[in-house]
Amino acid sequence: MISSTPAVASAATTRRRRVPWTRLAWVTLRQRRGAVIGTSILLGLFAVYLLIMAIIQNHAYAAVEACHPAAAVKCQHLANSFSADYWGGGAGGVLQAGGAQTVSSLLFAVPVLLGAFVGAPLLAREFEHGTFRFAWTQGAGRTRWTLSTLVLPAVLLTAVTGAFTALFYWYYRPFLADGQVSEMLPLSFALLGVVFAAWTLFSFATAAFTGTLLRRTVPAMGITLVVYIALALATATAIRPRYMTPVTVRGWNGAAGAGWVLSSWVKGPNGHVLSQGDLNTLVVYAPPSVQNSSNPNSFTDYLTQHGYTLWQSVQPDSRFWSFQLIEGGWLLAVSCVLIAATVWLARRRGA
Amino acid sequence: MNVIETAALGKRYRGQWALRGCTLAIPGGHIVALVGPNGAGKTTLLTMAVGLTRPTQGTVTVVGGEPAGSPRALDGVAFVAQDAPLYRNLSVADTLHLARNLNTRWDQRDAENRLEQLEIPLAQRVGELSGGQKAQLALTIALARRPILLVLDEPLSSLDPVAREDFLASVVAAAKQDGISVVLSSHVLAELERVATYLIVLARGKVHVAGTVQELLASHGAGLEEIALRYLRASVPSVSRTEGAA
Repeated sequence: MISSTPAVASAATTRRRRVPWTRLAWVTLRQRRGAVIGTSILLGLFAVYLLIMAIIQNHAYAAVEACHPAAAVKCQHLANSFSADYWGGGAGGVLQAGGAQTVSSLLFAVPVLLGAFVGAPLLAREFEHGTFRFAWTQGAGRTRWTLSTLVLPAVLLTAVTGAFTALFYWYYRPFLADGQVSEMLPLSFALLGVVFAAWTLFSFATAAFTGTLLRRTVPAMGITLVVYIALALATATAIRPRYMTPVTVRGWNGAAGAGWVLSSWVKGPNGHVLSQGDLNTLVVYAPPSVQNSSNPNSFTDYLTQHGYTLWQSVQPDSRFWSFQLIEGGWLLAVSCVLIAATVWLARRRGA
Repeated sequence: MNVIETAALGKRYRGQWALRGCTLAIPGGHIVALVGPNGAGKTTLLTMAVGLTRPTQGTVTVVGGEPAGSPRALDGVAFVAQDAPLYRNLSVADTLHLARNLNTRWDQRDAENRLEQLEIPLAQRVGELSGGQKAQLALTIALARRPILLVLDEPLSSLDPVAREDFLASVVAAAKQDGISVVLSSHVLAELERVATYLIVLARGKVHVAGTVQELLASHGAGLEEIALRYLRASVPSVSRTEGAA
């Protein structure tokens, strides 16, 4: 038998060619065809709906904006009915079932759904089916295969969800413009700007990492869901308000302005902060002319006249992009660390 | 050139040694039968040789001194793991395309000819293939990579007798035609007896015999099975143990 083949000689004398990244990209896309189709269907359905509603809403809102003077009763009525129909879903049509209020809450599930379903099986399924023994013993080697398997879907997912956010913004713009919601509120913030894509990337990286660590797909999805919910809640309630020191503004006549109100308190004429009990007492002892007034501002007007002031701690709308970049930045950093850790785990893992 | 060379190679899993103090030099140009009872450390040795597992101690090099798992080693060694893992949801054609894109050397014509002879349709999904067809497809891919060394871990264990014959015939033909060195593992020596030109008996994580079949037959004056059994019996203290190289 032959102990030395021409292949041996060529391997020893010529510099080794590497498998090009473009070929690895083909491999990754072919292996993830299911994930590509699933993502396209989920985002595609949402996108078609948002597109139709965006056209309808922007058209309806154009009429609100065109109405002058804005304070006129007919204009107020137009604005109120726009809000009721499209924000609250009051029109009751099939398309606006639940309104933008409900649709935007549903969208909160999208980053974690996409991240978990695309990320968790990447390596976990290879372990479950034993196919890593095939993939990692080919000429490309396991590091290149793993990098391609992780990085390409991560980039595609981030790009697609980023584009999706742009469409969502167009759909959501009328509600921001008419002051229905502030873009700083937790309800809107995570669906706008760069953080929607960043949360998707974070979920993806978490799922890929736990999938590689546990070598099981379904538990990795479950853990990703729990981690996402916990971190998203913690961010909205405790972390995000601390990105920058809140601004303290005087309310009522001071026109607090749009923004995310973190807390508010009332100070009496003597400069002391009133408790809720004190405020309730004030309402009870207010004169009948105030209590029975049809003007919704009569009580605050009454308080102002008597030297009471409202104070608010606010993250103003002007900080929207700073906050977006801070949150997008740390999510990106954490995701990169998780992906690097996944590659490290894959390189370390034996068979 | 030695296709696999190990020095004091050992692997420990959770405090248990699966393989220990294994020193081997398998020369090229052979069809090597690696036999031993279940749990002898055959898979551990092979997965370390193909770079899937890192040794706990010692070293392993392949195809003339390349460290196992290094880029050159990956180029020169084709591996078919037990039960021939392949992506069940891909078609045969896509599986070939996948393997082609994962390797620097690839002989598409050889792969297609081989599948045609085996009457495995390219459009078929891998999950729909029979066990024998799947094993043949995995072998086809391994051979299309034009390897120097072909490593097959328990390739026959899940095949019916006819498929075993066909599979072994393909391996022997490829080894002769392309001058490929082959290492096959099995817990049943009888399966490999007719094709092997080199024998390694492994039991309880240790190498008991390693040598060319010719030499072994000449020095022991007995059949190959008898030789293997003798060494395996010597390695197992309890008489009641019946499992082993049949």
